[in-house]
Amino acid sequence: MTRFSRFLLGGMCGVALCAPGLVAQDPDPFAKLDPNSRFAVEAIIDSAQVAGLPWRNLRSRALEAIAKKVDSRRIVAAVRTRFTTLKEARAALGSVGDGELGAAAAVIEVGVKPEQLTALRNPPRGRSPLAALTVLGDLITREVPRDEAISAITKLWQEGRTDADFMGLFHGVESDILQGLNPGAALQNRIREFPGRAGIKPAPPAGEPETLSP
Amino acid sequence: MTDAEEHPYVEWIAHEARRSVTTDQAARARIMELVRAEPLPSPHHGLLRRLLQPRALSMSPIASVALAAGLIGIGVVAGSFVHRRDGLAKAGQPPVVARSVAGLPVSDTVVKFVLVAPQAGEVSIVGDFNDWNAKATPMTRVPQGAVWSVTLPLGVGRHEYAFVVDSQWITDPRAPLAPDDGFGHANSVVLVRRGSGL
Repeated sequence: MTRFSRFLLGGMCGVALCAPGLVAQDPDPFAKLDPNSRFAVEAIIDSAQVAGLPWRNLRSRALEAIAKKVDSRRIVAAVRTRFTTLKEARAALGSVGDGELGAAAAVIEVGVKPEQLTALRNPPRGRSPLAALTVLGDLITREVPRDEAISAITKLWQEGRTDADFMGLFHGVESDILQGLNPGAALQNRIREFPGRAGIKPAPPAGEPETLSP
Repeated sequence: MTDAEEHPYVEWIAHEARRSVTTDQAARARIMELVRAEPLPSPHHGLLRRLLQPRALSMSPIASVALAAGLIGIGVVAGSFVHRRDGLAKAGQPPVVARSVAGLPVSDTVVKFVLVAPQAGEVSIVGDFNDWNAKATPMTRVPQGAVWSVTLPLGVGRHEYAFVVDSQWITDPRAPLAPDDGFGHANSVVLVRRGSGL
């Protein structure tokens, strides 16, 4: 073997040894899925991309389930369900952002009918139903009767309440529940606190800073 | 019996080969003149000729296997630059321009997450912003305190997350809950708007 061949061979061996390490820096997120489930999940994500749906929501859902050690079949079912509810959410809400679609899909999955969300459809420029949908999901999770929660949120939305109003409602209801009030009664209690119902607070102009983080 | 005795022509051929050849001096001068008139080969021409010259490369089976492994390694590395490991082409991704060390999207909005957990030995945060990786984003304890915190750059929008306290997933008691995902552990939600701060 010539000197050049030895050099080439050494280089190849080096690459072969280093390749797994280099690849490990970008770990395969779906490696824990069995091949069939992985194929199904990736196919659904591809379909979402083609359909213009928020595919990262689907990817995150799969990764969340993997992290929570959910079995592969349930992961595929959950991703498939989310794909369907994202389509339903888009049909109900019209032109909204990815976050709004994800939030709407999540509440549809806990029993809200897509047609019940049409009150939030095509929000005016500078207004987003993201906080409304998030608080709706929270209320349902805290066992506020679903129809009462939907009715309260859609009425507040139609009255032009701000994101801060919705977050205030969340904090109030949560506080009342922690103090032992029935979830439904807690909602009615806090709803009554809103002064008047029509156009008390206009929506903030687009881009106005507003902190909603915990 | 020698070869010469067996084949009479062999002796004649050998004799002819040994016979001295007399060269005409004028012819010799002409030949040498023609040789000198030829241009000398340049070093570049020689290198090109060396590169184009066919060669036979012999290799042992072990060396062949190592070479094949090296070529596969090059393919894997090159593939990892073209495709994400979940099979989606990098070209199809939205334009996330950079990533921090923790693998989080760079954003102009940062959010501080705080958890009071006096008895905890190890706390981290998981969410859609770090692929739900419990090792990606550890939280730090305030010295001599019960408060754990981490500050993260987050993109504008809605993010689901949870705290992992000594391997137990818990929700943020100060944040809205995400609707039940059916996976056995509830998540919290943070809404980030442009201009949200610490």
